[in-house]
Amino acid sequence: MKFLQHELAYRRATQQQLTRREALYKMGAGMGAIGLAAMLGERAPAGELISPLAPKQPHFAPRAKRLIQLFMPGGPSQVDTFDYKPMLAKHAGERPASVDRKTLRNTKMGLMPSPFGFKQYGQCGKWVSDIFPETARCVDDISFIHSMHTDIPEHAGGILMSNLGALQPNRPSLGAWLTYGLGADTQNLPGFVAMSPRAQPRGRGANWGNAFLPGAYAGAYVNIQEMKPDAVIQDLKSAGLSRTQQREQLDLLTKINQMQLARLQQDQNLEAGIQAMEMAFRMQFSVPEVFDVSKESDETRKLYGDTEFAKGCLIARRLIEEGVRVVQLSHSIDGYDIAWDTGHGDIIGGHATLAKACDQGIAALLTDLKGRGLLDETLVVWGGEFGRAPTSEGEKGRDHDHYGYTVWMAGGGVKKGFSYGATDEFGCSAVENRVHVHDLNATILHLMGLNHEKLTYRFSGRDYRLTDVHGHVVHGIIA
Amino acid sequence: MLSALGQVAPVIAEGIPAPVPEQVEFFENKVRPLLAEQCYGCHSAEAEAKGKLKAGLRMDSLAGLLKGGDSGASLVPGDPAKSLIMEAVNYGNEDMAMPPKAKLAEDQIRILTEWVKMGAPWPGAVAGPPAVQAHGAEPYDWAKIRSSHWAFKPIIKAPLPEASGKTWPRSEIDHFVLARLEAAGLLPNPPAEKHLLLRRAYLDLIGLPPSPEQIAAFLADDSPDAFAKVVETLLASGHYGERWARHWLDVARYSEAHGGFGDKPLPHTWRFRDWVVRSFNANLPYDQFLTSQIAGDLLVENPDPAGTGFFAVGPTYVGDGGDPEAQAQAEAETLADRVDTFSRGLLGLTVACARCHDHKFDPITTKDYYAIAGVFRNTRLEEFPAAPLAEVEAFKASQEGIRGQEKRIKEFLAAAAERLGTGKKEVEKSLSEPEGKTLAGLRADLESRKKSAPPMYPVVHGLSDSGSADMPVALRGDLRKPGEIAPRRFLEIVAGKDAPPYTKGSGRLELARSVTVPDNPLTARVIVNRVWGWHFGEALVRTPSNFGLLGEKPTHPELLDWLAADFMEHGWSLKRLHRQILLSATWQQSSHFDKEKFSRDGDNRLLWRMNPGKLAVEAWRDTLLAVTGELDPAIGGPAADEIWNSKRRTIYVSTSRTGEVYQADQFLRLFDAPAAVSSTEKRVTSTVPQQYLFMMNSPFMRGRAQVLGDRMRALPGGLPEQLRETYLRLYSRPPEPAELQLASGWLGSTPGPARWHDYAQVLLSAHELIQVQ
Repeated sequence: MKFLQHELAYRRATQQQLTRREALYKMGAGMGAIGLAAMLGERAPAGELISPLAPKQPHFAPRAKRLIQLFMPGGPSQVDTFDYKPMLAKHAGERPASVDRKTLRNTKMGLMPSPFGFKQYGQCGKWVSDIFPETARCVDDISFIHSMHTDIPEHAGGILMSNLGALQPNRPSLGAWLTYGLGADTQNLPGFVAMSPRAQPRGRGANWGNAFLPGAYAGAYVNIQEMKPDAVIQDLKSAGLSRTQQREQLDLLTKINQMQLARLQQDQNLEAGIQAMEMAFRMQFSVPEVFDVSKESDETRKLYGDTEFAKGCLIARRLIEEGVRVVQLSHSIDGYDIAWDTGHGDIIGGHATLAKACDQGIAALLTDLKGRGLLDETLVVWGGEFGRAPTSEGEKGRDHDHYGYTVWMAGGGVKKGFSYGATDEFGCSAVENRVHVHDLNATILHLMGLNHEKLTYRFSGRDYRLTDVHGHVVHGIIA
Repeated sequence: MLSALGQVAPVIAEGIPAPVPEQVEFFENKVRPLLAEQCYGCHSAEAEAKGKLKAGLRMDSLAGLLKGGDSGASLVPGDPAKSLIMEAVNYGNEDMAMPPKAKLAEDQIRILTEWVKMGAPWPGAVAGPPAVQAHGAEPYDWAKIRSSHWAFKPIIKAPLPEASGKTWPRSEIDHFVLARLEAAGLLPNPPAEKHLLLRRAYLDLIGLPPSPEQIAAFLADDSPDAFAKVVETLLASGHYGERWARHWLDVARYSEAHGGFGDKPLPHTWRFRDWVVRSFNANLPYDQFLTSQIAGDLLVENPDPAGTGFFAVGPTYVGDGGDPEAQAQAEAETLADRVDTFSRGLLGLTVACARCHDHKFDPITTKDYYAIAGVFRNTRLEEFPAAPLAEVEAFKASQEGIRGQEKRIKEFLAAAAERLGTGKKEVEKSLSEPEGKTLAGLRADLESRKKSAPPMYPVVHGLSDSGSADMPVALRGDLRKPGEIAPRRFLEIVAGKDAPPYTKGSGRLELARSVTVPDNPLTARVIVNRVWGWHFGEALVRTPSNFGLLGEKPTHPELLDWLAADFMEHGWSLKRLHRQILLSATWQQSSHFDKEKFSRDGDNRLLWRMNPGKLAVEAWRDTLLAVTGELDPAIGGPAADEIWNSKRRTIYVSTSRTGEVYQADQFLRLFDAPAAVSSTEKRVTSTVPQQYLFMMNSPFMRGRAQVLGDRMRALPGGLPEQLRETYLRLYSRPPEPAELQLASGWLGSTPGPARWHDYAQVLLSAHELIQVQ
């Protein structure tokens, strides 16, 4: 690949540093202190900079090396997408005790069958709603979890719970934890990129924020509509100088800095700065290429189609190819920060439009990753912060349902053509093999080679975790 | 510990070895949380106190499990098959299937099995770490911790230690430092060169470099008190308050937005920031500084609500749909912020760790947590007038007048409508001419009232009392599950068991007193240590917000105590402390690298040199604007504009809590400014390529380079003079011949403006500018 040369140099450097770290450990300097210094990109006691994004050893062999989250803010309805419930039609209008639960607006109405048809797809024979015909063709690569549940039926808290494992925007995001734990396979791009067309999901930057982790682990946000590499990496382009002029400038700066270094004899910040400056120079030319989809073949571009979401999917593939650890792509078709919440008033119109805007992109991403042999080591996760009630709200809407909903995973280490857990006969509450958000997050970390109980960061006197004091790995979906 | 144990529970000292650290970790991370979550509800001291104890079994101590309940011993260490607890959780016996509601998950059962198999290690039950666990009704061995952990011991002002180097010490501080260096066979570095000393003092005290004139004056001053005079001048500068307020704002997790999911901007937060700047400049005694921040609104003489912004402008969490669980959780999270900022920021204790269970490492109970949380729960956010009473009254009177006039017009129209029998909307058309005139007159009066109305008086965000009720312990941190009442009072480890409860209003004034009484062993140590860290780059206790058992120990305990005692003896004066430190030989050492000393003490724990460091981002940006002559030195006031349109000091730009609302957020984060989500212990220093992209390409850097380049070019005297002046301005030193040669070669014989700009950008990006030697 393009960056091979300095990737190799980089890895060599990392190797040396690992050896140094081991040596220090043997000298009794204590792993904790040095590990932490390394994480922060601080000076290691004996010298040179260790990048905060340097690749790090996972706790055990990972099943997936990269994560693409397809996040569906607003709460897609499970019974209108992937959790087929024929019983709804038989009991339409009734309100059996099992669905008589308090939802956010506490509507007291009866069961409402899905307005969409369902068909069976793939060798696994999965029933999928007519609004996801393209994704439906990929069911043999997907593990559906139908027994998701979460703590509250509010959007902001629910979305933060999905992405941070906490209800308030004061904890690091899943992507930040992953880059903190694993680093990235590129030093030319952020380890974690978050994208969405038009609207950021509610809670905005907190969803890819670093909170108390070092700033290098924050996700860099790109608005797909604009899709400027500059937006991912600030000040990437020189305003007035040519490459040659800038090189001349940097050569002078290096000389001046080296004279200072000679005076000081030793200064870790300065030595690290000289390395970082060279890297910065190269990034100006390598980064824009990643966002330039014009070099993709016609065939590929046709596969993805021309929706904004699909463009995000294609960029996501290009980013992970370059070594980015986590890409989070959130869905939106207008300025609404909880796109799928159109379900309150009108499931039919809202859900059909939203599904149409992302269906082809999702299928293309799975197909493309598979075709390139990347799906096996890339984990793709689709889902929202909760689902929607099988009962109706108004005439054709559905209220929030945090008791049961569907999330699916594909690729990196999960079973194929598989369904795990179940909601009750009407799709209201998770009843079989229940999976809490903490369990899902623990499972994602596990697939990425991290023990969710060991991936900790000491802050404010406590060892914090993505899963707080909860979480059980869902071994049942792991291949 | 052993002897205490011998008295309380002799049975468990036999046959059970002390747990090794891995076992402690396993127990604390897996077993204890599991027991607490699943069993304590019915099998703990708490359950017993509430009369809810089931089967006479307590599972919150090893003794309890060994003794067992109605069915006999629950636990046979090392033998899961014989342990009733395992039979219960495996649902082996229908009458004793536990927990009764739902069987534990498989890996939970596995954890318990493993634990029993390894001999049921229970930290504190026998000798072994951590040392804080005790027995019986008491969760901790209070007396022992008070007498053994340095931070809880009384502050003692020890006599100055003897050192053989009699000539080096300039102040008391130096005696302590030299004694430790000598004991380790090390010598301090020689003093810093004069120009570097001056630069260091300027950057340290006011966050701006000296001008060439200030450098020349200092170099020319040979009097023995030349440097002391500089220190006085800097401490008297209004910029001192700006520089040091920024340090405190890190502790106060200051930002201009509330930090909930919408991160709503708070319009008046800058008044708290200005209050901090003013307090530093006025050298407000630190005990009063804290009292005002905890309870400024409650002071009888000179109430000062602006200080309470310390808490009021903190993150205030909300839900977005009215779900009761979400609301309770948001309130709990907000309270946790208050307790955490209060306890780590002012006391160096991680009290927030005791939100769901007693602190695992420090002697802090959940009751302690809710005693403090209860104080804040009895407060509300309030906007206080920050203007003289007359101004406030005038505004209110004028608003009253406007409302009155509006009412008159409405009444006039209503009366006319009734008389004329028309609707309210059409009535105006039906009025007679004189009536129309009357209406116009009434309206003209309203307009003139509106025009002449004084503007809204300024307000500050502060706290006021809303009640005086003790709150219950929230079981497992859930406010909807109340436990035992936790009377508001100070932490038991400091104030003792019989600490008087707080009774006046929220109790904030009493809380402030508990914090600032001289026999509180933490407050003075914490601030003296922080100030030391801000001067040296590393504090004496390298975990400045954690003086607990997991924090670091002081590198110079006697010095820390001496400084803390001296600080309190002399009116908690921060400026006096700065003076003591800056006039010490320790602070004035050079930062020179020394291979031999570095190999012995690479971390500089013994202070054989000044720590070399990097300017904080705020001071760096200020310096860039200062050296180009563009800095707007105005002190105080709101942020006039976003950062890139402003030439004001960086402390005045708006920042948000989630770091995405203002232009400044991303820039500050890139250069290691801490996220304002919670109180910052200390800043980290990172070096990443994106920082260099900023130096190479940002409009800000290009803009400064143009200004500096043009300035240089306009200087008289040819390149040597142009460079001399610029080097002095930027680096506080003249250029070396080699540097002059380099510049001359690079610029060429007739450089145009663009070449000068490019050159100036290099000088501004050089490491020497961001570095503090």
